[in-house]
Amino acid sequence: MISISPNALANGSDSSLAKTLDLNNLTPEQVALDINNLNLFYGEKQALNNISMSIPKGQVTAFIGPSGCGKSTLLRCINRMNDLVDNCHISGEINLHGSNIYNKHVDVADLRRKVGMVFQRPNPFPKTIYENVVYGLRITGENNRRKLDEAVEKSLKSAALWNEVKDRLHESALGLSGGQQQRLVIARAIAIQPEVLLLDEPTSALDPISTLTIEELINDLKKQFTVVIVTHNMQQAARVSDQTAFMYMGDLIEYNDTNTLFTTPLKKKTEDYITGRYG
Amino acid sequence: MNKWFKSGSPWIWLSAGGVSLSLISVLGLLWLIASRGLSYFWPSELYQFNVVDQQGVEKIVIGEIYDREQIPVDQLAHLNLVLDPEQEVLERLLIKTGNRELVSLDFRWLLSHNIKNTQTPKDLVVVERRTHGNFYGYIDSIKLDGKPVTTTQLPELLARVEKFQSQMDQLQKSDIGAINYQLERLRLKTRKYQLDNKLTSDIQAQIDTEVEQLNAEYATLEKELLEYREDISRDHIVMRAMGGELVTINFEHILKITFNNKLSIIDKSVLFFSQISSFLVEDPREANTEGGVFPAIFGTVLMVLLMTVIVSPFGVIAAIYLHEYAGKNALTKLLRIAVINLAGVPSIVYGVFGLGFFVYMVGGSLDQLFYSENLPSPTFGTPGVLWSALTLAILTLPVVIVSTEEGLSRIPSAMRHGSLALGATKAETLWRIILPIASPAIMTGIILAIARAAGEVAPLMLVGVVKMAPNLPLDGNFPFLHLDRKFMHLGFHIYDVGFQSPNVEAARPLVYATALLLVTIIIALNMTAVSIRNNLREKYKMLEH
Repeated sequence: MISISPNALANGSDSSLAKTLDLNNLTPEQVALDINNLNLFYGEKQALNNISMSIPKGQVTAFIGPSGCGKSTLLRCINRMNDLVDNCHISGEINLHGSNIYNKHVDVADLRRKVGMVFQRPNPFPKTIYENVVYGLRITGENNRRKLDEAVEKSLKSAALWNEVKDRLHESALGLSGGQQQRLVIARAIAIQPEVLLLDEPTSALDPISTLTIEELINDLKKQFTVVIVTHNMQQAARVSDQTAFMYMGDLIEYNDTNTLFTTPLKKKTEDYITGRYG
Repeated sequence: MNKWFKSGSPWIWLSAGGVSLSLISVLGLLWLIASRGLSYFWPSELYQFNVVDQQGVEKIVIGEIYDREQIPVDQLAHLNLVLDPEQEVLERLLIKTGNRELVSLDFRWLLSHNIKNTQTPKDLVVVERRTHGNFYGYIDSIKLDGKPVTTTQLPELLARVEKFQSQMDQLQKSDIGAINYQLERLRLKTRKYQLDNKLTSDIQAQIDTEVEQLNAEYATLEKELLEYREDISRDHIVMRAMGGELVTINFEHILKITFNNKLSIIDKSVLFFSQISSFLVEDPREANTEGGVFPAIFGTVLMVLLMTVIVSPFGVIAAIYLHEYAGKNALTKLLRIAVINLAGVPSIVYGVFGLGFFVYMVGGSLDQLFYSENLPSPTFGTPGVLWSALTLAILTLPVVIVSTEEGLSRIPSAMRHGSLALGATKAETLWRIILPIASPAIMTGIILAIARAAGEVAPLMLVGVVKMAPNLPLDGNFPFLHLDRKFMHLGFHIYDVGFQSPNVEAARPLVYATALLLVTIIIALNMTAVSIRNNLREKYKMLEH
């Protein structure tokens, strides 16, 4: 039995009204990221088995699956955060704008400016709210006070945090609540106008109200960025995403638009997972 | 009873007892040093004793009481004294009699047994002098330009002398000193030209005019100095010593005249604080046994600051390399072992290393390259404040490295990942995020380094400290900070005054006073650093989950 209510699907994804994309035949303009035959090893142990998928632009793609299936690992491959892990080897490629990000000559810092990331637990810097949001801009060398002020207002508004903090921009960011901190971190990530935004279980550490706020936020964000979200919460994936990829033990089991995956899954493993038989 | 043991209370009592013992020891030490040291500054009573010596001759002894001792009678058996058989101990007093031109020793022991009469006459005077120490006695007469004046005019006369003296000091030290410095530089310039074979007659003529000009200035200043000297040396005071002799003391030698027995408590307190302040700001006299310790304070603080400036960047950068950039290989292990072993090397060995490497090798090469005109007289090839600071910097390096690494490892990797994910490079992350958060730990390392370095004396004796330095490393002549000069140090001063001075008894209170001063300075430096660290901690406080 499928335990997702049709209402949840209708509210979340706009694509239920728009035409669904054929994920196997996307035109190059429609593709944000192209993952080809990606294999990842932690030492001897293989964590990702031959992943191939195309992530469409301007849409929300969700990775779901049981714990340890490799979804966070895959997400971290996209902005090369796995480079920081010892003993991690990659084969295959991920193409952003047609060029492989694992090319030897790629400037990793530049890549990470284009592909932003928000982590599971909010990690604001011990600085003021203002300084947190402009951190990425200052790194690029932008020091014009007016431009920074504009960017701060724009990002905090996009992150639905502006009204709550506009009077205390120069107070410490650590004084905010968990939900506010996570929105601050999102504002910080979008202040540098990335192309792709990666969200690694962004609401798993938050209360239901904050979760709802951020889910609404994601719906707005996809108008400006491509969003890839990893989540444990199937209902969230159903509410929020346009496409969903189900992973199991390092393999990509099924990748389809959300409606189809949750109502008529093609593989048995997918069906078992979403009906709650394991996971 | 068993229950009490099992509840863990005995261990709490034990640790509390240990802490209390340590606290009491520290406070006791401070109290001991303070009481002995501060008593040096309190103006003491002047006594006049009528003493009967071995032969039965009566004499008068005038002076201050410095110490009292109880001696067992057996030790004094050789004196064949007539004593009460019940008596077991005899008291004896250490009297400072001064008057170095009349008696060979400043101090003498008097047995209370021999003292027939003790008085504190109001007219007894102690004269503090520039040379030959103190003079104790009565004022016989004061002559101003040959004409006698009354003692009421004394304060104004002394004030005038003080003013002239300070002006003379200013002339000598700053103005004439500056001219001498310029002359020396011109000499070096000439020599340099000579060595390069570029000394043309034009250049020689130019230098000659400059030298002439400087010499003319020198002549005027010298004349001014002589005028001052003549002015104050025409007045003198005639003193009557304890033996009745009359001694003439010229006003130019007098620093202070006080009627100690006439002073009220308030006067004594005022004098107490003025003595302390002159101890802190004046230069030493009489081979460090009198006067102030200002050059030593200055030298100690300057060297500690220089050392901090040198050790901080090196220590922090080394720690960053070891923690962030070094791979997990044998070379890194070797480096860590080397750092740990640095901390175990005895400090005198550092002194020898500093002497051999810094002074002779590096300093010698510097002299060859840049100061060859001064050779064979060394500029940097000799102990100095720069080499001392460098030697102590190496000594305290492991402490800074270990503290910084500790601070770096306490930063959650979420901070690093957050910064990297925004497109910062590792170096930018370090500079903008990691180091500010680790700054309290870095300050801890610096505090420990200062504490260790301020107390080290042994290596400094080899690489730059002297008993008496003619000038400070910082003065008004370009380049203002003279890193090649030798300097004085409080720790060494204590050693020198306590063990190398000609009169150990006289020096003992001074040793305690200087020790108190050194402890106070170290506490002050530490408190400053601790308050800076607390500020940083507040700023970068991370709310722990």
